[in-house]
Amino acid sequence: MKKLLAIAIFSVISIYGFSQTQKLDSLMDVIERHEGKLNALDDRVLVNEADLAKLNKIKVSGYIQAQWEHYGADLEKTNGYNNTFYIRRARVKFTYEPADGVKFVLQPDFSTGNLALKDAYAVVNIPKLKNVTFWMGQMNRPNYDVEYSSSSRELLERARVTTTIYPGEREIGAKLEYNGIKIPVLFQVMMMNGNFTGTQAKDVDSRKDVMARFVYSVKLPSAGVGIDFGANHYFGSNLAKTNKYVKNSDGTLDSLNNVWRYLDKHWTGGEIRIYADILGGMSIKGEYVAGINSIASTVASSATMAQKKASPNLYNNFAGYYITLVKNVGAKNQAVIRYDYYDPNTKLSGDAANNAINYKTWAFAWQHYLNDNIRITAQYTMPKNESNASNPSDLKDNLFTIRVQAKF
Amino acid sequence: MLILAVMVSVTVFSQAKITVKGSDTMVILAQRWAELYMKNNPASTIQVTGGGSGVGITALINGTTDICNASRPMKQTEIEKLKARYNTLGVEIPCAKDGVTIFLNENNKVSELTLKQISDIYTGKIKNWIELGGTDAEIRLYGRENSSGTYTYLHDEVVKDDYASTVQSLPGTAAVVNAVKKDVNGIGYGGAAYAVGVKYAKVKKDANSTAYVPSPETIAKSQYPITRYLYMYLRNRPTGETKKYIDWILGAEGQRLVTEVGYFPVK
Repeated sequence: MKKLLAIAIFSVISIYGFSQTQKLDSLMDVIERHEGKLNALDDRVLVNEADLAKLNKIKVSGYIQAQWEHYGADLEKTNGYNNTFYIRRARVKFTYEPADGVKFVLQPDFSTGNLALKDAYAVVNIPKLKNVTFWMGQMNRPNYDVEYSSSSRELLERARVTTTIYPGEREIGAKLEYNGIKIPVLFQVMMMNGNFTGTQAKDVDSRKDVMARFVYSVKLPSAGVGIDFGANHYFGSNLAKTNKYVKNSDGTLDSLNNVWRYLDKHWTGGEIRIYADILGGMSIKGEYVAGINSIASTVASSATMAQKKASPNLYNNFAGYYITLVKNVGAKNQAVIRYDYYDPNTKLSGDAANNAINYKTWAFAWQHYLNDNIRITAQYTMPKNESNASNPSDLKDNLFTIRVQAKF
Repeated sequence: MLILAVMVSVTVFSQAKITVKGSDTMVILAQRWAELYMKNNPASTIQVTGGGSGVGITALINGTTDICNASRPMKQTEIEKLKARYNTLGVEIPCAKDGVTIFLNENNKVSELTLKQISDIYTGKIKNWIELGGTDAEIRLYGRENSSGTYTYLHDEVVKDDYASTVQSLPGTAAVVNAVKKDVNGIGYGGAAYAVGVKYAKVKKDANSTAYVPSPETIAKSQYPITRYLYMYLRNRPTGETKKYIDWILGAEGQRLVTEVGYFPVK
């Protein structure tokens, strides 16, 4: 009996043990299977992470500025209508950063009827010189009003002096930039073709223009004030290819010895910006620039002497400035006032100035940030031109604009 | 007068609830501050989220947070964005000190590193623990995502070159600590407050210097070579409830919490 009982117990234990071993084996199988799956998932995550890291190096941003404009009576006569809807800018900016300190930027503008390449440049941090970057390609000229993106700017357009001396804002060239961290200094020097207005793929003469800019920033944290001030200088030239006659700024006519001579253009600017944390933030921004701008005559080489004297190359002493007051009202609104002045020829005034008349322009704007992406601006611009025999009265060219900007 | 009235009312209205966003290094500290402050001031609501210093600074510029926590100073490019949008330079408030801690597994034989060695490890020039007096095993690198202030701070102040592509980016210092805890050949970095279950590497400026672990004494005396401030940033000088909250943080009670959490007071 005892023997039988022992056999029975042994059998039960054996069967139980066997089943437990089987369970353990199957559990091991399950673990191994899941381990395999996890390893496979790990590999897939690594591949996805690598792909994502590549995609993270490409940044796409941009903005669309759609607006409605209403013109004064004289602009209505010129245009044939007194109001219009208009796509001012529609830009997409692609930035690729393959490595730390290396950046490629491409920015086309798709506004209606105006597909244009705005930016196309590479930026490289110079090894061993931590805060120095080298830029090459088509980019903004080194000037505050030019470099301040129209998507951030408080007024809809730049000051008249800026748009005149830096047409199209961009140039093709190479730039060195030092942006100090411990010493709050910005230094930029750019060499460029010098004649770019948006279409010339190559230079039109052999000489290159040079522009340098220096800005120093002062912070007074206890007063909540920051001041940026600086200066810039532009030195360049235009080639007189077809006409040796030059009309000076004072109206006198001179002659170069021959054609294919260079006409200097050079100017010096000063800039200041004061930021103050007063009831939500405000700033005063100003820039003054004066110098000589030359314009090469486009008269044909075959033209008569009289025709050439009538359409000479031009040397114009010019001056211009702007002063802008920006006041934040709460977190979502800004009130802006700007006064800007531009005189294309400071040596002549009245009837002698002919069409080189000065402009004094007031601009008033109110901006509302609907959210981080959408900004609505209402602006009234009042240009007042100098009157003379050629321009008997102030043109009725005031402009009211409502703009919606979507930025991403 | 009307504009002034609008400005004042908008300012007052914006103080009703305070949102705080930014540094993951500071998120526990910020939550402790908020909890205790709200307990003592039941009428106040303080909402704290992490995401990284970069995320916090972007939120400050976008206007989606009142206070940004950052474990690194704001970059010039970020200040320029603040100037463009709000016409201020922002307000920087150092609120705690931290030693960027180098985490090693408790079983790792290596216990001391120079700044140069840390740089060489994270740029991939030193690949094996044997080169540092440890066992013959490949070094596994753990780090933070590039939105992290600690990532940027270590890069700018210590690594000073591109991080190696083999650095595994993890979301938050806690994840880095956890990874090093499980990996005998792992190395990570982060704020001192998170270091549980791992050991701190002693850090020295160079081979001839004394090595220090981050501690209240070594941080206060700036002996620990990777000492930094932790910051709060605001768009404008604080007023109302925000000012009251910041004053409290910089006061005795707020700074006591800094020590409790594992960081070091500014005063």
